[in-house]
Amino acid sequence: MTTPLEQLADASGVDFPNLRKARELTRDGLASRRETLGNLESDDDVAIVLMGSWGRAEVTSGSDDDFMLLIRGDERTEVRPARSDVEAILDRPPGSQGIFGEPVSSTTIIERIGLEADSNTNLSRRMLLLLESVHATRQDIYDDVHAQLLDRYLDQSVKPQHPPRFLLNDVIRYWRTMCVDFAGKEREGPEKWGLRNAKLRTARKILFAGGLLPVLECESRTKDEMAEFLATQFRMPPVDRIAMSFIKHGAIDQGARALTAYDEFLAILDDEDKRDHLNKLTRETAKQSDVFGEAARLGKELEIGLLALLFETDDLPKLVREYGVF
Amino acid sequence: MTSLALAEPRSLLAHHPLGASTGYMSALRGDWPTLVRQASVFSPFAVELSVLSEDEIEGLERYLASDPPLPFRYISIHGPSKGRAMSEPALANVLAALSTNVQAVVMHPDTIEDPSHFRALGRKLLIENMDARKPDGRTVAELSAWFTALPEAGFCFDIAHAWSIDDSMTVGGELLDAFRSRLRHLHVSSMDADLHHVSLTEEDEATFAPLLGRCTDVPWIFEAPPRQR
Repeated sequence: MTTPLEQLADASGVDFPNLRKARELTRDGLASRRETLGNLESDDDVAIVLMGSWGRAEVTSGSDDDFMLLIRGDERTEVRPARSDVEAILDRPPGSQGIFGEPVSSTTIIERIGLEADSNTNLSRRMLLLLESVHATRQDIYDDVHAQLLDRYLDQSVKPQHPPRFLLNDVIRYWRTMCVDFAGKEREGPEKWGLRNAKLRTARKILFAGGLLPVLECESRTKDEMAEFLATQFRMPPVDRIAMSFIKHGAIDQGARALTAYDEFLAILDDEDKRDHLNKLTRETAKQSDVFGEAARLGKELEIGLLALLFETDDLPKLVREYGVF
Repeated sequence: MTSLALAEPRSLLAHHPLGASTGYMSALRGDWPTLVRQASVFSPFAVELSVLSEDEIEGLERYLASDPPLPFRYISIHGPSKGRAMSEPALANVLAALSTNVQAVVMHPDTIEDPSHFRALGRKLLIENMDARKPDGRTVAELSAWFTALPEAGFCFDIAHAWSIDDSMTVGGELLDAFRSRLRHLHVSSMDADLHHVSLTEEDEATFAPLLGRCTDVPWIFEAPPRQR
């Protein structure tokens, strides 16, 4: 069966060579990681979940191995496999940001939505699990937690033929949180400004749009259909969800251009010199950087395509107006 | 396959972003502060700063060097198509220097002698399709050679120029098919009997609607004042 990205490529005659290459790298890398990580001794309620570019099926030569030790059930600090056991197997284990690598309880991320206990870290883990993750071990646990999380969002407040507002608000909240946190991190120090900014303009927009569009598309579904639809959608990489939406709304040209821009951004990420260059840029030095200028232009081209989909097609503008602001 | 995003004609002015070309404000030529003010009244989001004649470049250089506060989020410069005196390498260098803080530089292919002189502009360079009066740059076959020579260049689709070649808009559709992923912005107007840009007519707006519907993501630059509605 062809993927929505392949369908868009067929419909438009536009190739997406870097996305295709990244998908192949993801597929091969995932197969080898599943084999090796599956040999680790594990508690019966723990799954290893790969996040970020693994979840987007966009692994490039410089991608980190961001992972989560997902516990089905209540919080505890000691789990098997231990973080160090997993890190010993992976090529580029996650940094010390605190979102990745730690044991994460499904009870915590599912039950603590909103209010004081829903920390920035908890929100990030929940959204990344929902929107850009893939199991490395124990698919049964991963699928079960995913279904429980969707069930929590599709609670009694959901009305048929209405996008689920609880989930919609959390998806939008997460995007805005990423933007606000970007400014917060800049205030803490100029390190990695260029790469973080370039990713905010591109990969983070893909993450957000890949969550927003399926939620809006729930508008034509019953509550039961929404659960199945969203589960199916979130099993796809975000780019596929976006490609599917462009196709559904007859915006083939716009989709081809938007995802061509994103495809070209992946080529920058896959170029070690350019990635390192972006990583070293500050807000000031970025002004003189051709590589950063190129990443910014590609981010803008991705954005205008997504905005055309949301605001200049037949049905989506009405949904955005009805649900997207208030 | 073509998009059906605009199955029903919708108001042209509902598109975002729209912008004005300063090229049609001929009475103000050379007065860049006023040209920019007029363009920003039409739309503060996009603009095309036209130096259609080479002798206008120096004034634009001085104006942009003064670092004026510009409201626009998308700025293109339309390179000269007449009054050429500079050597082509010199012109390309001047345009590259001018384009530091703009998104695009539009050139007519028939005014380019050696494409290699313009390669340094990279993705900022846009090649525009030409009207029926011109001997080159009108069709997919003619433009393909330019994009082969300038592989990074984008495409500026002048919808009225395409109409002048083929009023069924088949050629226009072929241009969008062939250069789909290169498209960066549109020029919008109608043309009079002498193939000069004039305000978009109601009839042409309806004729152009299917192709405009394929371009809803990019800025639309008006090459003539919009008609009174």
